[in-house]
Amino acid sequence: MRLRSVLAAACAITLAAAGCANEAAPAEETATLRYAAVGSPAATTHDPHGRVANEADYLRFAMLYDVLTVPDEHGEIQPRLAESWEPVDGDLTRWRIDLRDDAVFSDGSPVTAADVLFSLRRIQGKGAENNGRLSMFDLDASTVTGEHGLELATVQPYAEVGAALAALTFVVPEGSDDLTEPAVGSGPFVLGDGDDTTAVLERNDDWWGPEPRVDRLEIIAMADPAARAAAVASGQADVAGSVSPAAAGEHGGTGGLQVVHRPAAVNYPLVMDLGSEPFDDPGVREAVKLAVDREQLVETVFLGHGQVGADIVSPADPSAPDAAPVDRDVERARELLADAGHGDGLSLTLHTTNSYPGMEEAAVLVAEQLQEAGVDVQVEVVPPDTYWAEVWNVEPFYLNSLGGSGFVDFARMALVSDGPINETGWNDEEWDADFAEALATADADERRDRLAGLQQRLADEGGYVVWGTGDGLDLATEAVSGLPTGPGFHRLFIDQAGVGG
Amino acid sequence: MPDTVKAAAPSPSSGGGAARAAALAAARTGLLLAAASIAVFAATDVLPGDAAWTRAAPGATEEQVAELRAQLGLDRPAWRRYADWVGGLLTGDAGTSLVNGRPVADAVAQRAAATAALVAGALAVAAPLMLALGWWAGAARRVRAAATAVLTGAAAVPTAVAASGLAALLSGTLGLLPAVSLLAPGASPLDSPELLVLPVLSVALPTALFGAGLLSGAVADALRRPHVADARRRGRPAWAVACVDVLPFVLAPFVRVVAVSAGGLVAATTVVETLFGYPGLGSLLVSAVATRDVPVVQAVAMLAALVVLAGLLAADLVAAAVDPRRGGAPREAR
Repeated sequence: MRLRSVLAAACAITLAAAGCANEAAPAEETATLRYAAVGSPAATTHDPHGRVANEADYLRFAMLYDVLTVPDEHGEIQPRLAESWEPVDGDLTRWRIDLRDDAVFSDGSPVTAADVLFSLRRIQGKGAENNGRLSMFDLDASTVTGEHGLELATVQPYAEVGAALAALTFVVPEGSDDLTEPAVGSGPFVLGDGDDTTAVLERNDDWWGPEPRVDRLEIIAMADPAARAAAVASGQADVAGSVSPAAAGEHGGTGGLQVVHRPAAVNYPLVMDLGSEPFDDPGVREAVKLAVDREQLVETVFLGHGQVGADIVSPADPSAPDAAPVDRDVERARELLADAGHGDGLSLTLHTTNSYPGMEEAAVLVAEQLQEAGVDVQVEVVPPDTYWAEVWNVEPFYLNSLGGSGFVDFARMALVSDGPINETGWNDEEWDADFAEALATADADERRDRLAGLQQRLADEGGYVVWGTGDGLDLATEAVSGLPTGPGFHRLFIDQAGVGG
Repeated sequence: MPDTVKAAAPSPSSGGGAARAAALAAARTGLLLAAASIAVFAATDVLPGDAAWTRAAPGATEEQVAELRAQLGLDRPAWRRYADWVGGLLTGDAGTSLVNGRPVADAVAQRAAATAALVAGALAVAAPLMLALGWWAGAARRVRAAATAVLTGAAAVPTAVAASGLAALLSGTLGLLPAVSLLAPGASPLDSPELLVLPVLSVALPTALFGAGLLSGAVADALRRPHVADARRRGRPAWAVACVDVLPFVLAPFVRVVAVSAGGLVAATTVVETLFGYPGLGSLLVSAVATRDVPVVQAVAMLAALVVLAGLLAADLVAAAVDPRRGGAPREAR
């Protein structure tokens, strides 16, 4: 008996906190889509404008708030809250934005231009946390011109204003300065119950857009990729976002499960710093590009769920050039290295991290492949904590994870000479000037040609080796349809996804 | 551990002595808690980087990070931050998260029930199993060393491996249980106990093996006592020998081992919660460490320390109460 009371005491201590358990969620007959998304529940935030570490949070924001424009499945920009965006001057520095007039927040108040300008300014004010997302705008010089019209000023001619306003311009009511708790939104869903792990969203019947196909959306933040896949396989979720190629292979096509592919969502390029030896020599860069076996990398790292790359940094961007494939040529690589003075060998350290699935394997394989061209590569794997502080944008030779960012945004950050994260040291005045000129080109086709030329020049001469891109792989039950398949942030807009029927 | 087991509870000779011992134990627990608070604070303070650094986007300038740091109050000296934190704790305010600005107490409260159910369930499985296995190993006369070695070896299997193995067997091969343990929002884990089975077993089994290894020595010692042999010679049945002559000597070490194991259990939940997607305090701690959300790390760590210290305190008190050697009986050397 004493033993039992001891155990009971021990249990009572730990159970003491259990008193706050709530009632179970009521069972209902509504159509519910349960989406297990990448995210660690402890990092859950309600502020859509600052640092958002969780994909699960982005999904929730995209469903709760209206955004000005969205990319479609081909990466082309489409209207959302903004019906049109047109330059009002010849040099593309002032833009008239017309908003739709039938959007209302869930508290009944209309969405106005003042709300939009407030939200844009709030996003820009948090530039340190969101990578200077709207730094192309001069928002102090931007004005509200009417209930549903505003004029935005850009700091330089900027023809890609539609893309700049895409996907992440979550509009909150004017005056929502403190967003530690959710603000009212005007999107396809409104926030219901839920906790940090699972957000429950109810369909917003007052939304202006096409009626969402489910009544209820549950977005579950799960950090572990295997657990996300297992959640779908065991019937506890309908969709698992971003599962590993191995999990897709294991579950896809079996037991009523399907794999949804999002091309070019994963990109782990080799980064070579043009400002450091030996990569300051164009011959060495070309040798590395020729020495890697791209097919083998895509086959091994992405288990074939991907495309071989030709060093185009944003291959899914609508402006990406049709680049010729880069064929492996170990002999030519050896010659180039010899010409560069490394005929008797070259030793390099390649840094990588294990924070993204496959990056470590990619580095090891690259090292083996370069060995065949006479380059001795030591692979150094660091944890995510130190990777971002001590490797990324610091070391001369490492693997990066770029995801599927659009080319103009990427160039603004990482390719222009004064870009804040110019990790390859790509300092080319002529290229900068051509980039500015492309952005000042009003004609869309001509602009695309210019941007394509810029991407190709970077591929030929720059420090990125884009050996291939992996598909984003979402695992879903066969009852699920209408999941997004486009590049970049298209993946967030799941309001037309359905389950069953 | 043997030290703790050997350091028998004080053998008070009077009621006043018992009260004094209890007060001493409580005071010691308070001191340990204060020491733990300093250790937790220091540990979070020496991690590379801080919340401003993890919140800033890659590419943010030094000035931008410094501004964030000032906004978050991280530019104050360490002693000041510690004092503010402890002051808050003493007034029942655990502070706000550096990641999302919300009260830490909310985040902890949301998850405490899930972890409490997991730890309680694991203790309920591990404690009897530990006693049974420890007894078996301790009583195995010829092969005791081998039996203890087997237990120790098995206990060294990492929780993650045990969890994956159990999941592969019970969920994958046999299809008996769900492979992950998602809780519906706001639902109590007790509503769907089948979700608890895999996480509970994954932490309980290694704990039971570890505890059994420690206990086997105490069992063997108890069995070697002269009065046990004497009772056997007098023809007392084996079950009666076990209950009357051996068990009282094993109880005190058993209670302590259980209390210490509870600490290990709390640590093991971090791994298991991540693997099974079970939303408890362990996974909160892991991601709070990753984002340098110091107030959350501190709150969870202090809660864990509180549980372990309270368990040890309870164990001391219980051990003193059940010690068969108290009340003037000659204390025997081991």
